[in-house]
Amino acid sequence: MKKRYDVIILGGGVVGCAVAWYLSHFECSILVLEKELDVCCGISKANTGIIHSRSYYTPETMKGELHLRSLPWFHQAQDELDFHLARTGALTVALSPDDLAYLRLLQERGQCPEAEILGPKDTQELEPNISENMVAAYYDPQTAVISPFRLTLALAEGAVLNGVDFVFNVPVIDFHSDDRGIGIETETETDYYVAHWVVNSTGFSAPALAEKCGDGVPPLQAYRGEYYVLDKETRGYVKHVLYPVPTSLSKGILVSPTPEGNILVGPNFEPVKPGDTSTTVQGLAEVKIGAQKLVHHLPFDRTIQIFAGIRSVLPERDFHIFFSHRFSNIVHLCGIESPGLTASFGIAEYVGELLEKRGLNLVHKAHFNLRKNAPIFSECSWEERERLITQDPDWGRLVCRCEEVTLAEVKRALFVPPSARTIDGLKRRTRVTAGRCQGSFCEMHLLSTMIALLGFSENDIRKSGIHSHCLVGETREERESYATRH
Amino acid sequence: MPRDIEAEVVVIGGGPAGMAAAHSAWEQGAKSVFLLEREKYLGGILNQCIHPGFGLQVFGEELTGPEYASRYIEKLGKTGVQVMTETAVLDLEPSRTIRTVCPRGVHEFHARSVILSMGCREKTRGMIMIPGTRPAGIYTAGLAQYLVNIEGYLPGRKVVILGSGDIGLIMARRLSLEGVTVEAVVEVRNSLSGLVRNYVQCLLDFDLPLLLSHTVTGIVGKERLEGVLVSQVDERWHPVPGTERFLECDTLLLSVGLIPENEISQKAGISLSPISRGPYVDETFATDVDGFYACGNVASVFDLVDYVTFVSQKAGEAAASHRPRGKVRFVLQVGVGTGLVIPQRIRNIEEGILFIRPSQGFRETQIIFRKRDEVFARKKTPICRPSEMIRIDIPSIPWPPEGGEVTIEITGNPIQGI
Ligand SMILES: Cc1cc2nc3c(=O)[nH]c(=O)nc-3n(C[C@H](O)[C@H](O)[C@H](O)COP(=O)(O)OP(=O)(O)OC[C@H]3O[C@@H](n4cnc5c(N)ncnc54)[C@H](O)[C@@H]3O)c2cc1C
Ligand SMILES: Cc1cc2nc3c(=O)[nH]c(=O)nc-3n(C[C@H](O)[C@H](O)[C@H](O)COP(=O)(O)OP(=O)(O)OC[C@H]3O[C@@H](n4cnc5c(N)ncnc54)[C@H](O)[C@@H]3O)c2cc1C
Repeated sequence: MKKRYDVIILGGGVVGCAVAWYLSHFECSILVLEKELDVCCGISKANTGIIHSRSYYTPETMKGELHLRSLPWFHQAQDELDFHLARTGALTVALSPDDLAYLRLLQERGQCPEAEILGPKDTQELEPNISENMVAAYYDPQTAVISPFRLTLALAEGAVLNGVDFVFNVPVIDFHSDDRGIGIETETETDYYVAHWVVNSTGFSAPALAEKCGDGVPPLQAYRGEYYVLDKETRGYVKHVLYPVPTSLSKGILVSPTPEGNILVGPNFEPVKPGDTSTTVQGLAEVKIGAQKLVHHLPFDRTIQIFAGIRSVLPERDFHIFFSHRFSNIVHLCGIESPGLTASFGIAEYVGELLEKRGLNLVHKAHFNLRKNAPIFSECSWEERERLITQDPDWGRLVCRCEEVTLAEVKRALFVPPSARTIDGLKRRTRVTAGRCQGSFCEMHLLSTMIALLGFSENDIRKSGIHSHCLVGETREERESYATRH
Repeated sequence: MPRDIEAEVVVIGGGPAGMAAAHSAWEQGAKSVFLLEREKYLGGILNQCIHPGFGLQVFGEELTGPEYASRYIEKLGKTGVQVMTETAVLDLEPSRTIRTVCPRGVHEFHARSVILSMGCREKTRGMIMIPGTRPAGIYTAGLAQYLVNIEGYLPGRKVVILGSGDIGLIMARRLSLEGVTVEAVVEVRNSLSGLVRNYVQCLLDFDLPLLLSHTVTGIVGKERLEGVLVSQVDERWHPVPGTERFLECDTLLLSVGLIPENEISQKAGISLSPISRGPYVDETFATDVDGFYACGNVASVFDLVDYVTFVSQKAGEAAASHRPRGKVRFVLQVGVGTGLVIPQRIRNIEEGILFIRPSQGFRETQIIFRKRDEVFARKKTPICRPSEMIRIDIPSIPWPPEGGEVTIEITGNPIQGI
């Protein structure tokens, strides 16, 4: 069956979701096609989660321009999206007098009256565990950290509330000219989609899809970044985002608090084959050495998880956003590397302007729905907890002991669209399995809740991707009792 | 607003430790005893241990985990202990204020004594930092045990188990009985970690291979696990270059250690030992904060549930008697050959048991008690292993009269292999 939309967005990463949410302010029909089973399964799921302030933008680049354009949105969109941003501030640490020029450059770019360059004593006061080899630091109060999952989900939920459709498990493979627009062919669906305007925000796949349109893009290079996540017990060991003075290739290995109270350490910068998200002994060792230059005795023995993310980088080290030559209404977003998370609102607004130039009429809807975050039980006061439990006893049923997540929150994740259908989907929405036990106490409760509430069988339980089954069948006893029951 | 409850004794965690402590506190005469358990049922880890091997010392017969638990649940039923299930303790203050949530609301307990018995959790892949991808199919052995024994699900068809501790060995047998192929049990030490009994009954009887001095050095597979890389290790547990090989499997079970769950204990200001990772306790299992006791696996990982029950009875009695505590007379330290000693503090040398875990296996073992340079006691035992705690009655040791710091060392002929 043919399904028609005004705009179809390919890819449900932070960028695709930001574009969808932004365009949902206007009178047009919108669809997001995502190859995975959920939003935020690509580059957007594994990064440092920093909203880099103005001090850290790259002048005279598209990514710098969209970075600056995006920053005001983190205030503006609060009311509409209700996401949590932790303004921790940042320190860029100079380890030699040669680095001071760079700190001054940051100060100039930042144009922030409260920002300043601090000597060792003042820096130590702010950050007692900082390395003694530090000679000075640039203090920037505007840097913030965010959960990239929660931002992406806020955008996706906000989009759905304003009429955007999401279809999952549909890898897009090709485009055709259709009498009424652009026809989109997918791998798994018999459905065929037609749109007037198409936004290709498929991250790593964007150049390959551009290729399908006959648009040549220089090949993307994949650079892996590995991380450690430290237990919440280490909360406060580092209070600000700590940047080293960057190398010519990347921002370097950082130490950063997360909004949830963990400490994140990484990433390194290692060329790899696309898609290679394995962690390595060498990479982790490099990250450890890098971090120890900034912080003393970082408690690596409190590591609860290690992971890797992949940057998709073009040779010119900039975003490359352009219209297709053959299909004049397809816009390709290639090379959306760091600070793509920070720049996502700016990218969305810019894409809107581009589409407007090609005839999309941006007429504001008469009514726009605000997206409200559900209460986060672990952050509620005892009075609020009591009130919630009186409304619904599931707020008093603790599913995850480490992150203190209740059954009510898990249910919301299963039923508020775009809803979770996988264990990782539940993790990204509620933080179950993301704590110190990494799911060894709660995974069984998650499985049985999905089976009970969604009518799933054990074969439908997946970690993340379509082939990531968690269970392979039933035990003998279970099979026998099934046979006698029937 | 939270509802307030005054209590004489509150026990946190309803596994074997909490049940025994609550029962003993009641028997000792405490008027109001509350037992708080987060899950729907009492019993803790016992509920998923459907194999026999529990209770020989406490009940004089061999029971399964659920049988052992139901004996205690029955005993509790004959007391006035008030059991609250689906009740999670989230907050604890040094003043012995306890805040809980349950489907009926929020409660605030004010207790004269608090007994901590929250058990322990398993170490995970992230903690031991096995590099590689992050596919489905990697489970801690305890989670797999729950899925198989309680939910009736199979986690995979071809499994590698990392760690030769008892849970790993028991799961090797359990999965074999389900027709799952156990490719290997991989152990980084040069000797077995679990009980020899379990090695014989779980691996030998089923012809399952044990690879000593090996470890998993990589995880392979995009969505579901496709295999693991296994390498030989040297004496310092570093992988030996050139020995890495690929073992095909769809499941990796981790049985690589347990960590006492003391996040809420720390909120009460209780200090933890970096060795046991539980509170420093004395012979009655009193912690260093007045009115707080810690027993069972939250204090230190015990190998037998019977030992858990013994120490928890002691804690329950002490918590209910509200006796003023004497001064700490001895501080016990681990020396060469000793992995762990519990209790680490002694106030009264007239009661209690010392549990000592050797750091490796020895034959012709001597346990040496030393105060500075002076050895004041030696105990002998023919054989000892890290999997079995050595027990010594505290009154049986000729403690020096003036107290002080005591180091416990273990010597003997090291055991290699099984
Ligand atoms: C290590 C690392 C650290 C970073 N740190 C930061 C930081 O601190 N701050 C910051 O601002 N930025 C940071 N970034 C950059 C930021 O993460 C990215 O720029 C951003 O997440 C890119 O989002 P995206 O939506 O373009 O890509 P993605 O999240 O990859 O989204 C693309 C989506 O398209 C889907 N898709 C792919 N192919 C198809 C197809 N054929 N059909 C349908 N769907 C398809 C994918 O499944 C995916 O969901 C970091 C990046 C990395 C790698
Ligand atoms: C897989 C496995 C196999 C074993 N096999 C044997 C064997 O063959 N023979 C033998 O003798 N022993 C065996 N044991 C050991 C024995 O089962 C344990 O030593 C014993 O269960 C520990 O008791 P516990 O009460 O300290 O902890 P647990 O049994 O873990 O109980 C702790 C309880 O506290 C609750 N709790 C924790 N935190 C909170 C909170 N904040 N609020 C409320 N409740 C909380 C938990 O839900 C749990 O029910 C085995 C153990 C395991 C894990």
